[in-house]
Amino acid sequence: MAKTILIVDDSESIRQLVSHILKSAGYDVIEGEDGKDALTKLAGQKIHLIICDVNMPNMDGIGFVKEIKKSDDYKFIPIIMLTTESQEKKKLQGQAAGAKAWVVKPFRPDQMLNAVSKLILP
Amino acid sequence: MSANPNQFLQTFIAEAHERLQEMEEILMHLENGPHDAGTIDSLFRAAHTVKGSAGMFRLDSIVSFAHIIEDVLGRMRDSEIEIEGDLVAVLLDSCDHMLHLVEVIAEQGEQLDDAALARENELRKRLKAYQTGNGDAQGTRVSLSAEKDIPLTASGGGEVSSDNWHISLRFAQSVLKEGLDPLYLIRYLSNIGEVISVTTLADAIPAAAEMNAETFYLGFEIDLKSSASKETISEVFEFAHQGSMIHIMPPHSKTTQYIELIRSLPEEEARLGELLVATGTLTQHELEDGLNAQQKSAQPGGTSKLLGEILIDQGSVTQEVVQAALEKQSQAKDTKTKESRFIRVQAGKLDELINLVGELVIAGAGANMLAHLSNNTPLQESTSVISRLVEEIRDSALKLRMVQIGETFNRFNRVVRDVGRELGKDIDLVITGAESELDKTLIEKIGDPLMHLVRNAIDHGIESADKRVALGKPEKGTLRLNAYHDSGSIAIEISDDGAGLNRDKILKKAREIGLIPAGAMPTDQEIYNLIFEAGFSTADTVTNLSGRGVGMDVVRRNIASLRGTVQLDSEPGIGTTVRIRLPLTLAIIDGFRVGVGKSSYVVPLDMVIECVELSEAERQAANERSYLNLRGEVLPFVLLRDHFEVAGANARRENVVVVQYAGKKAGLVVDELMGEFQTVIKPLGKIFSNLRGISGSTILGSGEVALILDVPSLVQQAVARESQQVLRKLPNNTATAR
Repeated sequence: MAKTILIVDDSESIRQLVSHILKSAGYDVIEGEDGKDALTKLAGQKIHLIICDVNMPNMDGIGFVKEIKKSDDYKFIPIIMLTTESQEKKKLQGQAAGAKAWVVKPFRPDQMLNAVSKLILP
Repeated sequence: MSANPNQFLQTFIAEAHERLQEMEEILMHLENGPHDAGTIDSLFRAAHTVKGSAGMFRLDSIVSFAHIIEDVLGRMRDSEIEIEGDLVAVLLDSCDHMLHLVEVIAEQGEQLDDAALARENELRKRLKAYQTGNGDAQGTRVSLSAEKDIPLTASGGGEVSSDNWHISLRFAQSVLKEGLDPLYLIRYLSNIGEVISVTTLADAIPAAAEMNAETFYLGFEIDLKSSASKETISEVFEFAHQGSMIHIMPPHSKTTQYIELIRSLPEEEARLGELLVATGTLTQHELEDGLNAQQKSAQPGGTSKLLGEILIDQGSVTQEVVQAALEKQSQAKDTKTKESRFIRVQAGKLDELINLVGELVIAGAGANMLAHLSNNTPLQESTSVISRLVEEIRDSALKLRMVQIGETFNRFNRVVRDVGRELGKDIDLVITGAESELDKTLIEKIGDPLMHLVRNAIDHGIESADKRVALGKPEKGTLRLNAYHDSGSIAIEISDDGAGLNRDKILKKAREIGLIPAGAMPTDQEIYNLIFEAGFSTADTVTNLSGRGVGMDVVRRNIASLRGTVQLDSEPGIGTTVRIRLPLTLAIIDGFRVGVGKSSYVVPLDMVIECVELSEAERQAANERSYLNLRGEVLPFVLLRDHFEVAGANARRENVVVVQYAGKKAGLVVDELMGEFQTVIKPLGKIFSNLRGISGSTILGSGEVALILDVPSLVQQAVARESQQVLRKLPNNTATAR
């Protein structure tokens, strides 16, 4: 069975794009619009990897990562943060919260897949 | 991205439009009222998202301009610059330019023309005043990348003969909790080379009682045969760097470097040395050489623990910062939260669903009819349950298309502001009923007529400030947009507190061009509504409500094509109200079915007032005087049998369906009344487009086709015929009835 990746980003175009990249590589994808939405989408699902944006309404990426790390069910899921080059500070905050991997926007599809492949197989 | 980039680009374009719209709304709000951190955060985020997504599509010119806006908004958010009128103005202009960029570059795939480039440069200059360099972010980046490289000192000692890379891994104990799988990473190495050997060091595993199942205790020494660069190998462990000790030794490294490595590792030196010899990384000789070459500076184990502690310390510091930031954020009101959640669905799919539901309604009606004929009670019961469900499905399906009108209304904030500024008029826009819903197709099509009416009201309705003051009115004009549901239709009102229409001028002009018969005495309302007549909106005819581009007749035509009506009320000196009435949806109507001869016709139910029987005597009388007597009221009528030239003799008993449209009543004379039913409107083919009196068709449960009557045009015909008859009796008959 294909591994499932949760992509959390408030930008629909980025969600679609990442989702397409991942689906083409054989992963299953679930999308969340922001931290809060993602937490509800997560419930009861088996997720193998989370890709999440930093800047989002309702619950931002860092708050979301903290929530994930608090949960016994999800704390072992690897998390890739999507940051932009101007967000070094956010990246460090994200790392402190427990997201150890990151991909800098804008990225090429192969860069995204490469990062994912370092964490899980399809 | 390769499969269909266009599809994603479309999403980006829609998204960018949405975000820019959101920014514009927030900016307008900032200009007018108080703000909180959350609003500015939303503003910043909107710009940031557009920039981020544009970057993904390689729309560099959008990214570069958005970057400046983002910078300025960032400083605004951090309270480094004050929010004031000029700043908001330049940001609004920048939003416009972004919109233009999205349209030209993303939608049309073209480059900006010179005018737009000049505008951009101008905007960049204006923004520059608010933007200062973001040097600090750069600084962090440099220091961070420096941190990544693990320094390897190469001082003295001979080269090791091994051709293999040597990788020494001591992962952070928290690595599992971070979601990294060390074994997976080691397996991943085989993607870039051949793993010659892996030795696992279990030294750090504590006694069983102290062992934590979530902690990672193992260390690895790996030999890798690979032609990859050090960078590539290092990248495999990119995400594991933090808190982990990862040493990568190129082939033929100096023995001293190995010694240093051994010393820096937490395990006992002797044991590691032996291990390296055992795996063939070092020869015994090389090891001894190396050990002798340098002085032993004993450094007992525990480095990694120490490092871990440091990191945790660092972590807790940042954690506090993060916590504080988060708390602040959750306190701030997020404007986005008000927005309901949406799923974007292709309009085509929705249309298809509604079309199918329509067919289902028809098929359901057919089944229902057959069940009733069959005298089979259980069957009748079950079909009636199905009909009820089908009706519910139909209602829900139609609701899917319903959109709040608020978004359309909000667009006018900007229009009112801009047009007002242009004309030097200060105007407040008051929006009410923004939550009223109507069909998406209607929303799309109502935008232009609304725009026209709003501009007209600002341009010609509301007087200049001086004039207003002179008239004793408040200096600031008020324009109201209101929407409300009213018995199966939606009413949209555009009202201003301006000068109102000039009744006499309109009347004079109307008489000149023969719109009003000489003898007729129209009411005020009839006169005002003349401005919707074709050919009436030529300039200088009506001073305070003349067209700009399209005339008012086009407005009415557009609205009529949506099965809507438009009416105008005006009071001199007080203001003008234009009221648009639209059906809630275009797809399905509640109909009243009538029969003439063998044919069926459908009258939209909301226009039916009552049905009365037409007695033979009344009919005779009516033919002579060409109107019916409805309880003493004059009622013009249309004989549908004659109108549609239905073959066959008149029915023995005829009925009159009294319909109303735009305040005028008329009777439709039919043979049979067949009752109410709901039906899906099927548009008529082009070939029928010139037929008067029919607006569409529908398929009955029996499979027959029934025509949907165009009541407005039938009423007009009836009324016109009646007035012709009346005029015939007048001496000077030069009028042209419409």
